[in-house]
Amino acid sequence: MPRLLSRRTFLLTGAALGGTALVAAIGGAGYLATVDVDGRDGFLDGDRAVLNAFVVLHDDGRVVVNVPKTEMGQGIHTGLAIVVAEELDIPFDDRISVVFPTDPHPAYSNWFNALQIRPEEAAGPVVWVGRRVLGQMGFIATGASGSTMGMWHPMRQAGASARHMLLAAAAARLGVPVAELATGDGFVRHAGSGQSLSYGELARAAALLPPPDDPVLKPRAEWRLIGRSQPRVDLPDKVRGAPVFGMDVMLPGMIHAAIRHAPVFGAEVASVANTAQVRAEPGVLDVAVINGRQVAVVAHSWWQAEQAASLLDIAWTQTGDEAANSAGMAARLQAALNNSEPHSHIDDGDAAEALGDAAATLVEAGYDVPFVTHACMEPVNATVIIRDDGTAEAWISTQSPMAVRSGVARGAGWAGVEPSSVTCNVTMNGGAFGRRSDQDVAAEAAFLAARHRGRPVKLIWSREEDIARGLYRSHAACRLRAALGPDGLPVAYDALVAAQSAFQSIGSRNLPFTPGPDGDILSVEGLDKLHYTIPNRRMRSIHVPSHMPIHFWRSNGFSFNTFFTESFIDECAQAAGADPLDYRRALLRDTPRHLAVLDRVADMAGWGSPMAPGRGRGIAIEECYRSVVAQVAEVTVAADGEITVDRVFCAVDVGMAINPDAVVAQMEGGILFGVTSALMSMITLDRGAVVESNFHDFPIQRLANAPAVKVALVDTGLPPCGAGEPGIVPVAAALANAIHAATGRRLRSLPLARTETIGERRTRSVLRDPAA
Amino acid sequence: MTTFALNGQNITVDDDPATPLLWVIRDTLGLTGTKFGCGAAQCGACTLHVDNMPQRACVTPLSDVAGRSVTTIEGLSPDGLHPLQRAWIELEVAQCGYCQSGQIMSAAGLLTTTPRPTDAEIDTAMAGNLCRCATYVRIRAAIHRAADLV
Repeated sequence: MPRLLSRRTFLLTGAALGGTALVAAIGGAGYLATVDVDGRDGFLDGDRAVLNAFVVLHDDGRVVVNVPKTEMGQGIHTGLAIVVAEELDIPFDDRISVVFPTDPHPAYSNWFNALQIRPEEAAGPVVWVGRRVLGQMGFIATGASGSTMGMWHPMRQAGASARHMLLAAAAARLGVPVAELATGDGFVRHAGSGQSLSYGELARAAALLPPPDDPVLKPRAEWRLIGRSQPRVDLPDKVRGAPVFGMDVMLPGMIHAAIRHAPVFGAEVASVANTAQVRAEPGVLDVAVINGRQVAVVAHSWWQAEQAASLLDIAWTQTGDEAANSAGMAARLQAALNNSEPHSHIDDGDAAEALGDAAATLVEAGYDVPFVTHACMEPVNATVIIRDDGTAEAWISTQSPMAVRSGVARGAGWAGVEPSSVTCNVTMNGGAFGRRSDQDVAAEAAFLAARHRGRPVKLIWSREEDIARGLYRSHAACRLRAALGPDGLPVAYDALVAAQSAFQSIGSRNLPFTPGPDGDILSVEGLDKLHYTIPNRRMRSIHVPSHMPIHFWRSNGFSFNTFFTESFIDECAQAAGADPLDYRRALLRDTPRHLAVLDRVADMAGWGSPMAPGRGRGIAIEECYRSVVAQVAEVTVAADGEITVDRVFCAVDVGMAINPDAVVAQMEGGILFGVTSALMSMITLDRGAVVESNFHDFPIQRLANAPAVKVALVDTGLPPCGAGEPGIVPVAAALANAIHAATGRRLRSLPLARTETIGERRTRSVLRDPAA
Repeated sequence: MTTFALNGQNITVDDDPATPLLWVIRDTLGLTGTKFGCGAAQCGACTLHVDNMPQRACVTPLSDVAGRSVTTIEGLSPDGLHPLQRAWIELEVAQCGYCQSGQIMSAAGLLTTTPRPTDAEIDTAMAGNLCRCATYVRIRAAIHRAADLV
């Protein structure tokens, strides 16, 4: 069942509800019919021949592909440029470049993520209206592993449409029928006369021709690029220090800002005792309280601003959360599991009765995970100018230009300035993982820009602000129960998870209203186990509020629920006396796609072959973002508890992989990201504030600890599915299951280990004592 | 005033000598390939070379490099085709790319002293360079590949 306007995308894009676009859009289908959702028309713009919203040609044969998706490491600029190049029938070489368009054209809208209907499958009046409304609203965002699914078909069409227009231009120029013409290597050729014309020669004429109504796409059998690994377009710059990340934006007259946020989330600035003293520090131009909540120092350089900010003597208001600590927060989750009235998501069959069947074997276990944060390598930053004419412009590492536009308007508003327009330049992102979809830093920078009209202000959060004063994935706890039948397989499955609603928290910061917290789908992703054949199933969730700001975090609910559920399935297998692989095979008997992936990874890992004492192997599988991913982890646990992750095998069906090596890279990186999270990551609270502040106490994996990773792509004939997040999803459970196989110890809490520092720069992971 | 050689050219700046070299290079001199990641020598994103040895620019005061030779990612090779850069492209190492200048500069320091490093030598030399995209599998492979290309 497609979810119309899925809440995730609604929030990801930071919808500016009440905007004129929405009012106009729902004003009538007559108006909507005029909305150019496909961006198929061409035009001339200086020396650029714009063939449509995605394809721009230059006289010299250079091709610029407009990709309205943030490049944050996943390789989306390359993947979608490949699709255009395929249809345009040009080689994939350095004549192709990619830009993120600043124009919020409806064709760039993220409506796939909202409607959860592939563009190639979209039909009917609801979709027609939905995509036009969303297109009008400037719903442009990158996330939910949805970029390829949402854009590959429209961009194929754009490439094909442009090729059609080039052929038509050539036919007119040569006075021959289109049917006698062929394309290849960036030329249109006429075999009969031996004449040929380059795309560059034809571009300007082609741009003024009418686009085809329904461009014919190249048959799969003729593909030369899609499905064959191509070099990433962003790599040559990235090995030479050349790309411009938000952090690297340099503008004439730019001034710099550092910031301090409240240690206890929600507190406001009561007073700043030494404003005059800080204002007198070298290079300082301004000390400003932002909307009563943060204090910023503006200076000629960021170092001056940061040094001065470190001197700030700020008193914060009391919120009532000053006593919060990790133990108390964890106790709140457990209390919620015991007491609260949960929200019911699934109630199929009669799970309660089956669980009460005295003849059944009951398996019950509780699991939990802590708060974690993103710690993108590029600290949070934004550069904003508000000009004297009222226009505003931002340069920023962001997943959501819509959130930025909204945030700039909001932040300027705090200073009493209403920008007449906001342009958002999306730079390269130094990691994102969900973090860069909030308005926060854009609004803060805009407030400062409004105080310094006509000058660009670059605001950079220090690493300490990022980790200790930032945004977090919720902590979570669950209770899972299963009743096993005579064959050892579950006849009933009952899942109850307690977590803080991400939707409510994100909405409270980014929307004009705060969504209700109950039934937050992000809290239950990975909990339903619908691919397992189980006759009775119940799934419930409980929202547990706290003062922590919760945000999207790579794979969201899957990052904890799949740890819970795939650990639990192993516990069920153990109770049934079954091999974990065989047990899952039996549960997947009705889902051949999943079975193919599971069997593939078992084969890769040599499942069942003997292992030395102290070593163990664990398996886990999940369906997420329409992909199916299974992993086997191999670990060695030393007598003192030191854990080494030796190898991780991964089989994944992401459907048709446009750029297979990029998918492999996403799995490799996702797996190691997941290993960090499973073994090392924990944000703790003391006296209401986050304790961790930098990489010394929020460690991430180093090269020396990185296991070997082997990835296999399984293709069961489906169109492209999500690839950015699946890699991380099964890792934690596979590791916990491997640790159990190696030691007999079942670890039910993340992180599985504590991190010990060896010397200056090395770390090791030592298993936590489950009894402690 | 502090004078030092930056990528082979003598430079004089009048920043406070206590300013970390990172911010002098980025904000005063405009070379942004050297990255700010942690400000505390915890992540290695700011790694550059001082007299051919890898160093963390975020904790190196400007005064420390007076009269010395500083090399950033922009000056690693005249044509951007250092064996490490070629290997990085060949093996498609980078994802977001933000840490990669620092990774490459640390690896370049390693290859200078150890032209054919073992895995253990790579582990040690690269221990101070974090990658949140976790491209480590390919970083290791690319260092070995670069050693072949030298």
